[in-house]
Formats: sequence, C-alpha cells, structure tokens
Amino acid sequence: MSGYLKLAGKNLLRHRTRSALTMLGIAASVGVLFSVLSFNRGFNEGLAVELERTGLHFMVVPSGCAHEVAALVLHGAVIPKFLDTAVMEQVTATDGIDLATPILVAQLPDPKRGKIDLIYGVDMTVLSAIKPGWEITGKIPEQDHEILLGYEVAQHEKLQPGDQFSSVSGGMNLVVAGIVGLTGSQDDAFVYLPIQTAQKLLDNPAAATAIGVKVTDPDRMLEITEALTTAVPGIQIVTMGEVMNSISNLAASARALSLAIVLIAILISAVGVMNSILMAVFERTQEIGMMRAVGASRRDIFRIILEETTILSLGGGLLGIVLSILGSRLIEAFVRSVMPFVPSGNLISFDPGVAAGSVIFILVIGVCAGIYPAWKATKINPVEAIKG
Amino acid sequence: MIELKKIEKSYRRGAEKVRALRGVDLSIASGELLAIIGPSGAGKTTLLHILGCLDQPTSGEVLFDGVSTAKLPETKLVQLRREKIGFVFQQFYLIPGLSVFDNIALPLLFSKKPATRSKILALAEMVGLEHRLDHAPAQLSGGEMQRTAIARGLVNDPDILLADEPTGNLDSENSDKIYEILRSLSQNGLTTVMITHNAELAARAQRTVQIRDGLVHP
Repeated sequence: MSGYLKLAGKNLLRHRTRSALTMLGIAASVGVLFSVLSFNRGFNEGLAVELERTGLHFMVVPSGCAHEVAALVLHGAVIPKFLDTAVMEQVTATDGIDLATPILVAQLPDPKRGKIDLIYGVDMTVLSAIKPGWEITGKIPEQDHEILLGYEVAQHEKLQPGDQFSSVSGGMNLVVAGIVGLTGSQDDAFVYLPIQTAQKLLDNPAAATAIGVKVTDPDRMLEITEALTTAVPGIQIVTMGEVMNSISNLAASARALSLAIVLIAILISAVGVMNSILMAVFERTQEIGMMRAVGASRRDIFRIILEETTILSLGGGLLGIVLSILGSRLIEAFVRSVMPFVPSGNLISFDPGVAAGSVIFILVIGVCAGIYPAWKATKINPVEAIKG
Repeated sequence: MIELKKIEKSYRRGAEKVRALRGVDLSIASGELLAIIGPSGAGKTTLLHILGCLDQPTSGEVLFDGVSTAKLPETKLVQLRREKIGFVFQQFYLIPGLSVFDNIALPLLFSKKPATRSKILALAEMVGLEHRLDHAPAQLSGGEMQRTAIARGLVNDPDILLADEPTGNLDSENSDKIYEILRSLSQNGLTTVMITHNAELAARAQRTVQIRDGLVHP
C-alpha cells in the first residue's frame, strides 16, 4: 500500500462514524443503480424467454392499441372488443399457418354473489406454453367442465381441487381441477377455463378476444401477416417482437424514472462526500500546515485528500454491489408486488460488467466531488495554519 | 551558512499594517545553536518562518548556502524545506491516527525516500523513544510527543533544525531533556535555531539574539 493511501485511510479512520455514514450513503446509491441496471437486463431476458416459450409468433386482435395486446398476452387484460366469428376460419385457412388458438378474456357478472368474475378462456393444451412459470396444485383442466383458479380467487372462495365452482356456472356444473400458485400478478384474479366453456358462459359460441398464431416458417411471417391483414378487415396483427417492444418500452419508461431518481441520490451522496471531506480538511488545517512545513508540496496535499475520497467512493461502491446482490431477492419480491407484469425467473442477474461499471461511475463522481476539498486544502497557507 | 540581509516583513491585520520585521540582519553559522528570544509579537516566529522558507520577506534577502531564496519558485522552496530544513513546533502537530513510527517517517513520504525501520529506530533511540514506536500520540506524554516531533524534523537529514518554542508546553524536566537533545544535535554539526521564552535555556545556547520591535539585538 502506498504511503499516501495509508495516510488517507488512517485519516478516515479518525472519524469512523462520519466515514462509515458517508460510505453507506454511497453504497445505497450504487446498490440502487446496480439493481436498476441489472433489473432491466434480467427483465428483458426473462421477457424474451417467456414470449419464446408461448410458441406463438403473433396475435390477431381487434384493431386497437398494441399495449392492450401486450397486456392480454402476458396477464390477461380485458379488451372490450371481440373478433368477428369468421376471423378464426379465415386465419386457419391462410397459407402458412401451423396453429391458431383463440383466447377469450372477459368479465362475467355473477348476480347471485353480486360480483364480477374475470374469465380467461384458452385451449388448455397450450396453457402451459403460454404460462410457463406457473406452479399448479392439482392439474390443468382436461374436460369442458373443469377449471383452473387463480390464487386469489381460490383463497377468496376457499376452494380446493375437486371442489365445485358455482360462481360462473350459469347452469354449468364447473369443477376446480387445479389452483395456480401465487404469482403476485393479475393472473391471481382469473378463472381459467377451456375456450369452449368460456364461449358458452358468454353465450357467444365463436367469440375470441385474440387468436394466437404459430406459423410453419417464421421466415415467411411478414408475407403471412400482410396476407392476413389484406384478407381480413378490422384486425390488427401484433408480433411477439412487437409485444416485447411494447412491454420493454413500458419497462424502459419506469427504468428511466428510476435512473433519474438514482442519479439524484448519487448527486446527494456526492455532496455528502464533498461535505465530509471538506469538514475533515477544515479540521486538519494545522496538520496540513505542518505537512507543508515538513516538505509536502501542494500536489502531495491534493493527492492525500483525493485518495481519501477515492477510498470512500470505492469502498462505498463495492459495499453497494455486495448489499445489492444480498438483497436482490427482496428487491425482486418488491418489484413483483408493484409491477403489473413481471416475467418468471431471476429479475436481477449479476453481470460483472454492470457491477464494474457502477463502481467506476461512482468512483468518478466521488473523485470529482473530492476535487474541491482537495483544492481547498492546497490553498491553506502553512504560516497561518501553524499559527493556529 | 544562512544569511539574512535587511529583512523586512509587513502584513495587514484588518485595516492596520503590521511591520513584523524592520530590517533584520543575521548570520547563522553551520553547526551553531542559536537561541532567539524576545517578547510576544516581536517577530520571532515570523523570522523563523522566513528562515524556513515557509514565508517570503517583503524586502531583503535570505541566502541559503549563498543562494538567494527570494526568486525561487514554489517547487524549489518545497524542495529546500524537504532536503535542508527540519521543523519543530511548540504544539508538536503529530497526526493522531499514526503511530510514533509513522509520525517520524511522515516527511519521507514527501521526499519519496524509503522509511526503513533501521533509520526510524536510530532516530527514536536518539530521542529515547525506541520503546514507543508502535504507540499512538495520545499514549505519549508531552515530552515524548515533542521528542517524536524532533525525530520527525530530523528524518530527512536536514542541514538546519528550526524549533519554535519547543519547550513552551513542557515542564522543566522535559524542557531540559529537549534542550539536551538540541545541544547534542548541534554538537554533532547540525545548525539549530530555537525560539524560546525560557531565559535559562537561552542562556545555555551557543549564541542568543534578541528580537525587539522587529529588529535583532545581539
């Protein structure tokens, strides 16, 4: 260790509490910065995997907003429009379509209970592909009268697999086949059932909110979507890439806001560093005067003070990364509780590059914050300082 | 070795102009132990700071081994302080977070010389602190602190040691110890200039000059 670094470290240890608190402020800022940057990466990776797992290439929906489609695909938003009944036939008849599966998401009032149930009708054979992260107690429905309950619905109605579900029965004898584990998202509030059953309950045998489509050759997707758009009026085609962009854009907006807040926090911690070091310089005026007298140049003094800020910034930065990694599960749990859609898997993925970048960033900011106190220290007149 | 010619030093204290030195002429020979005495405010410390290249005179000339320091740039003055001058202060100015060893070695950091244990130990032995090298300043008595400061002042092997009231904060027993160290250094060829209020110590110095109203009186 260089003599300057040792001296700087010893100086910081003279005011342990002040140094520790300053370092903690930096650690908090870096921890949040690292979490936000890592979250973005983990979120996008998780989202890509989840969309890939659906096995679908695009969605056919009534003309509207792409964000609604994204919400529909990922957490079953209710779009207040249905596709025309003929659309399904036209889609399946189009050349190059491998699979077309209708999805029906709707609100169904239950006058008996004075409540509205949210139903999600889908071909149960594709459900596990669309919702790969679910943990299901019981089984996925295999019969028309079987249903799957979201966690909150099951909790509220106090139902277990095998129990009869009377709420949306509308004359049908529905039985709970399985219950979805807690997802922390809107999935918890839905009743999942075979699409045909959902259509019967709505008394609209061919209704669909969207059609999920898989093509035989993804390279021909543009050609197929153009053919569909021309052939079928009143529809909109949203590819999974567009869905991902749409969700990513929403997440990016949230990230931009978070980053702005983080930058303000970093600015505050930089001011904290400057204040702490400036205070230390003023307290050590006589000592700095003595050092000038025994041979320290202005440059030596500048270096000692700047190394103090380097230690604080580097220490705080590394501590922040460690705390952020240790607390990543807590942060994930919090994010899942507040965000409408969060992909399954680890949201915060450790990337050494992001960690190093965060530490280097705070190091640069910290050192910049240390320049003014270091400059002030070089301006101390040794004669005046020694006189006290 | 050091010659001061017609040194004047004025500075402002608020609206008032203070003439701290009014034309000091003084020669200090190599190996001399010189005591500077005088009442408070007479200009003793100002003279010492000018001798130590910490301050520049308003007019006049300081010759260090025949070389005038008046036109030397800041970097050269710093180099001169590092290589040729040792300072000892009344308030010791030891760094609390550093051990006695590190306090003694501090000037070596600035002169980019290695702080070898043998060198620091030799200095510590000379001032009687070899058993205190790992102690913190707070664990030392006033006399021990001043002896540490003297060792620090000597670590760069200076040509001259400037001591500003080195016994000012010490009892008579410790004052005697400090004086004996300074006298021993002088006897070994080190030029030593000591400001003191202690008339008895001053009388024991090789030469005593008095400063009164900014002028030297032999």
